[in-house]
Amino acid sequence: MKNKPVDAIVIGAGAGGGVVAKELAVNGFSVVVFERGGWPEYDEHINDELINQRVQELDSAFGPDWKKHPRVFAGKDGNRRILNAGDGSYNHVAACVGSGTVSYGAMGWRFMREDFRLKSTYGAVAGSTLEDWPISYEDLEPCYEKAEWEIGVSGDDTQNPFAPPRAKPQPMPPFEMNREARHLAQAARRLGLHPFPIPMLRNSVAYNGRAACIRNRTCCGYACPVNAKNGTHNTVIPLAMQTGNCEVRTHCMVAEILVNDQGLATGVRYFDERNKGQTLGARLVVVSGSATETARLLLNSKSKLFPAGAGNNNDWVGRNLQGHAYTGASGLFDFDILDLSGPGACMALCDYNHHNEGIIGGGLLANEFYTLPYAFSQNRPAGEMRWGLGHKNYQRENFYRLGRLVGPIQEIPVFESRVTVDASVKDYWGIPVAVLSGDRHPLDAPHCDFLGSKAEEILKEAGALRTWQHGGGRGGPSGGQHQAGTCRMGNDAQTSVVNRYGQLHEIDNLFVADGSLIVTNGGFNPVLTIMALGYWVGDYIVRTFKK
Amino acid sequence: MRLSRRKFIQTVGVLSGGLLCMPSCTRSFPEYRVFSSGEAVCLTALCEQIIPADHDPGATDAGVIHFIDKLLHERFPHLLPLYQQGIAALEASCSRLYGTRFASLPTARQIEVMQQMETDALPEEYWTGIKASAFFRQVIRNTMQGFYGPPRHGGNKNYVSYRMLKLDFPLVVGQNRYT
Repeated sequence: MKNKPVDAIVIGAGAGGGVVAKELAVNGFSVVVFERGGWPEYDEHINDELINQRVQELDSAFGPDWKKHPRVFAGKDGNRRILNAGDGSYNHVAACVGSGTVSYGAMGWRFMREDFRLKSTYGAVAGSTLEDWPISYEDLEPCYEKAEWEIGVSGDDTQNPFAPPRAKPQPMPPFEMNREARHLAQAARRLGLHPFPIPMLRNSVAYNGRAACIRNRTCCGYACPVNAKNGTHNTVIPLAMQTGNCEVRTHCMVAEILVNDQGLATGVRYFDERNKGQTLGARLVVVSGSATETARLLLNSKSKLFPAGAGNNNDWVGRNLQGHAYTGASGLFDFDILDLSGPGACMALCDYNHHNEGIIGGGLLANEFYTLPYAFSQNRPAGEMRWGLGHKNYQRENFYRLGRLVGPIQEIPVFESRVTVDASVKDYWGIPVAVLSGDRHPLDAPHCDFLGSKAEEILKEAGALRTWQHGGGRGGPSGGQHQAGTCRMGNDAQTSVVNRYGQLHEIDNLFVADGSLIVTNGGFNPVLTIMALGYWVGDYIVRTFKK
Repeated sequence: MRLSRRKFIQTVGVLSGGLLCMPSCTRSFPEYRVFSSGEAVCLTALCEQIIPADHDPGATDAGVIHFIDKLLHERFPHLLPLYQQGIAALEASCSRLYGTRFASLPTARQIEVMQQMETDALPEEYWTGIKASAFFRQVIRNTMQGFYGPPRHGGNKNYVSYRMLKLDFPLVVGQNRYT
């Protein structure tokens, strides 16, 4: 029978869910993974500059369907707009097996020790829910290592003096720097900074049965044509399936987690690939739908003991939504600084992560992923023509001459920046959709300006003739690809949603394993941390729910 | 009966020739999916000034008008009213100011009109319910997509923008195979 109850249901096959499913399946749990999208197939979204994860002008290459998954943006002026996934305010993440790990730029960063102790390091911040994590870097270190070796990272942390301690090196050697990276690294060294090759979830050499990277200029935003980029879709999820214990059900939309009158999860109600309503029972449920969709699902799971949604009796589910303002600077050179040796980003420095006067957190700086002709046409310094011969001349003169240094700023979490649900707006299946509301913390803008000014200094030292900063950190709410924070982990049930193992404080067999757990999002791309949290939560479930 | 190859081709030729003479096949197909020919003339001139031809091809050579026509028909029909109203308002403005259509104006005058469109400085009475600058921004955006995007959507004909930017195609660096 198809819907025989299983040990565990995992909702969402992305960075977090894929890892948890594998940890459970290899330890003998029967697992069903629900994914609202399908399996990614390279031929379905070839390298199309107008349809990819970074430039969604005509469609979203990896889902979700624009017509079926609306969201609401609620501005502070009371203005509400219904959005599709192509809208910037939608805060879109990919909907397919592997999710963002199929098309990401694949930076594989570990957070630093300080990132887990932000309040202890910098003190309380007015207007912010800034807090320490309930776990330390040392707690998560073995999980980072597992993610690096099982999913695959190329890098060499010994070149980064700010890297946190590690037991084992990264499994593959780092990538060679491209022309832009070499040039900017030299300039950074002259300024006394410490550039090094970016750790990448990409194969610098053949690894785990898949080929080495061929350095396409289209990488970030695209699926890899030779499968050299490592996501959960081509590593841990296939491993889980090979055990025979894990079934991945694609094109299934989970509507609700069923919670009984004793306050335990009994399974889920979902719509199958034919849009037919179904229920599936399980001993435990893990939610890994990303910060927006995980919060939405918990809020939509109302029961007798939890009338405001699962785990939401203190009104903390969906709060502290955060992401990353990406900031930095651009510079025009009088020679071709780009050689289009993909993916673009390969040099970074962590001199501006932590311990900078007057800055809480800070962020890394890295040279940027390549933009192709259309995206390049949308990027102009002030005063340049956006059309006409002036536009065309700029394209021709500068396509290979624009150097950039960018990075994600540590955002300061805000209680009112949040996900709620709106019963009056429903998706294709009649499920209330997510509403995004709230603003960034006022400190994000000066923090961005700090990092942008540092990027500009390096570009000037590198010989850029004309430079400009990107600014950022204004408006909100933040979220985007790096969305995090909506089901905060903490030791105090009054001021968090889950405990240090991702277990809901009040529902023992309901877990969260994705970016929602993150207390503070670091000045780093968070995916390796999300994968590590997947191992962390998975390990706890295996130990406590042993059959 | 066994037909020789020559006989077969002759017979087929006569039959298909007969088919071609049927009335339903002689009617000419419209050149555009959503635009009237008048709208297309105006929009073509506008796009060509956004990315003009010089020693490299411009928007017309790249087939931008057909890209936009296809886009509004297949993908974003909700944008069609904006285009239709914008084109009508532009033509009405040019008729009032210069007594002729936008496409018939000399280049310098077209650019002047576009700068006015960009800053909402054209006669207001023709731009009711629609902002000139919003219309112009939309046309710029779609023109850039059609010129610089991949050819599979109907624009960037003959890889004109990839050639212009010396972007190797297909992807592998140093392996140009435009044709």
